Amino acid sequence: MIYGDKNTGVLVQGATGKQGEFHIGLMNAYAKQVGGRGVVAGVTPGKGGKEVHGVPVYNTVKDAMRDHDIAASVIFVPAAAAADAIMEEANAGIQTIVAITEHIPVHDTMKAIAYARMEGCSVIGPNCPGLLSPGEVKMGIMPAGLFSRGNVGVISRSGTLTYEVVDELTRAGIGQSSVIGIGGDPVIGQTFVDVLERFEKDPQTKAVVLIGEVGGNLEEEGAKSTNLPIVSYIAGISAPPDKRMGHAGAIVEGGEGDARSKIARLRKHGVPVASRVSEIPEMVRDLFKGCC
Amino acid sequence: MKLREYEAKKIIREYGIPVPAGFLIRSADELSAHIADLGDKFVLKAQVDVGGRGKAGGILMADPATAVATAKELFNKKIKGLPVREILAEQRLEIQHEYYLSITVDRRSKQPLILFTEAGGVDIEITAKEHPEAIRTVIANPLMRDIPPFLLRELIGTAPKEIGTIISKLYRVFLEKDAVLAEINPLVTTPQGVFAADAKIIVDDNALGRQGFTVNRDLSEREREAEKHGFSYVELNGAIGVIGNGAGLTMSTLDLIEFYGGNAANFLDVGGGAESERVMNAVRLVARVPTVKVIVVNLLGGITKCDEVAKGIIAAGISQKVIVRLAGTNEAEGRAMLLEKGYEMLDTMDLVVRKAVEVAA
Repeated sequence: MIYGDKNTGVLVQGATGKQGEFHIGLMNAYAKQVGGRGVVAGVTPGKGGKEVHGVPVYNTVKDAMRDHDIAASVIFVPAAAAADAIMEEANAGIQTIVAITEHIPVHDTMKAIAYARMEGCSVIGPNCPGLLSPGEVKMGIMPAGLFSRGNVGVISRSGTLTYEVVDELTRAGIGQSSVIGIGGDPVIGQTFVDVLERFEKDPQTKAVVLIGEVGGNLEEEGAKSTNLPIVSYIAGISAPPDKRMGHAGAIVEGGEGDARSKIARLRKHGVPVASRVSEIPEMVRDLFKGCC
Repeated sequence: MKLREYEAKKIIREYGIPVPAGFLIRSADELSAHIADLGDKFVLKAQVDVGGRGKAGGILMADPATAVATAKELFNKKIKGLPVREILAEQRLEIQHEYYLSITVDRRSKQPLILFTEAGGVDIEITAKEHPEAIRTVIANPLMRDIPPFLLRELIGTAPKEIGTIISKLYRVFLEKDAVLAEINPLVTTPQGVFAADAKIIVDDNALGRQGFTVNRDLSEREREAEKHGFSYVELNGAIGVIGNGAGLTMSTLDLIEFYGGNAANFLDVGGGAESERVMNAVRLVARVPTVKVIVVNLLGGITKCDEVAKGIIAAGISQKVIVRLAGTNEAEGRAMLLEKGYEMLDTMDLVVRKAVEVAA
């Protein structure tokens, strides 16, 4: 486990919205299945006293923290209020904040992340699907049915592409320790380096699949930072320059961050890079042959 | 969204950064009225939404005698395929030295990065490669409204002190205008003082609304239409249309087309919740791209309802072939609906893409 386990009490901000309500249901169905605590409280300003799927809703994060033991949170509030939600949670003392919200202005994100760092808490996302540690905890929107428990960690800037990879791994009989989507924005809290550091300390994780895409060079930086065996895949070989490919952060700018040069740098560093998603399971097996 | 030079200069002037005297014209005749304000040497700069316009002939020198004819010449040009509708007429500066200044969003530090070099006037990428020691950078704290003086001193070195003030002002522009790039290149010294000879501002697409922009000018017409439906859309020029859910999965579908030797016509991410109407709109939009011969639909997600997707594809009623890969809930129903109408549905990404490449060839 890297950011939480069965015993992690989770808070949801934006609990009474359509997304929040829907995913509290799914997260707690998963918690029930694995015998975990799941979502213990929700927050929506002005809706204190209500219940969502039996989960009590509070007006503020501090109110919720008074009544419950909470270590992590998942944010579903709209973009205009999301940075404030991150800061409220950091200020209240929550250790891990998963920000699902997309389209947060990057200046708001920079402020919220700087503030959270000051308060000593980790932000996953924004614009991410969250994380799932099979058999332990689901914090976010990943479809639990595709996952199986095992020793391979997965880190990705994507949502559905991650599910595709997890599906391939599970079908090939390769289970996962934790799967985390770090977000598709240019500025995100936990980057490849941060998550790999957690995976390195996690005895369950023996190897990592690192799924990157065009934009920036944080994949390479991550791969260089760890001793764990890695298989990588980089999306966007066919992405034209200066075009945003769906994610705010997926853009080749000023001739930097294109897929081919990323792949070349990863390979130069000794990291095997798959040309297709369907090649990943076999490459992971090869890693295990070599090391464990 | 990238602002035009005259828009960027108007903003930085409001923040107290000196810019050359000048005005915008939309026809050559408009030049005559204020021509006296510009002195006897000036420059005409095409305001087109494209980079590298200088080398493409979009910047012309002029004097009062030749001005109107030169402006007409520029209005009749196309710069990298774009018509010239606006020209910025500006006083020509007596440049003594050129500097480069930019503020960007730094992915690694997750904070604003300010870059300054006294070796301006050439391509910044070239300076970065050949003389990295000439480039100075500092990281600013996004929780502070100003750059502390010690950081300014680190940045400017032996350059004139006025430049420190200009950096402070540009930083305010960067913060208050939701910029992802604020650049002055070149920043010049002249006998009359320091000026921003050129300025570039790119506004965060996620902040256009609160900055008062209703339209993203960086998008093509079809891209704008896609945006209205809530799709992310990029047009390419191949024969295989692509519809996926999620940016990463859609990108990797495009990559797979290239892997199997085909060419994608577009990138379209339908986003979350692929209900029938959204899917129908997406299929119709892609089918209208003239180069499209076949469309690949690749949708995966625990909560995607396959019967809804099937309904959308059938309702679109387009003439091109559609090949579908669907995984989610109600898979059997969706498959049956599509099969009944003669659509092909395959189990994996590799299979649909290979089939599409065959059909397109």
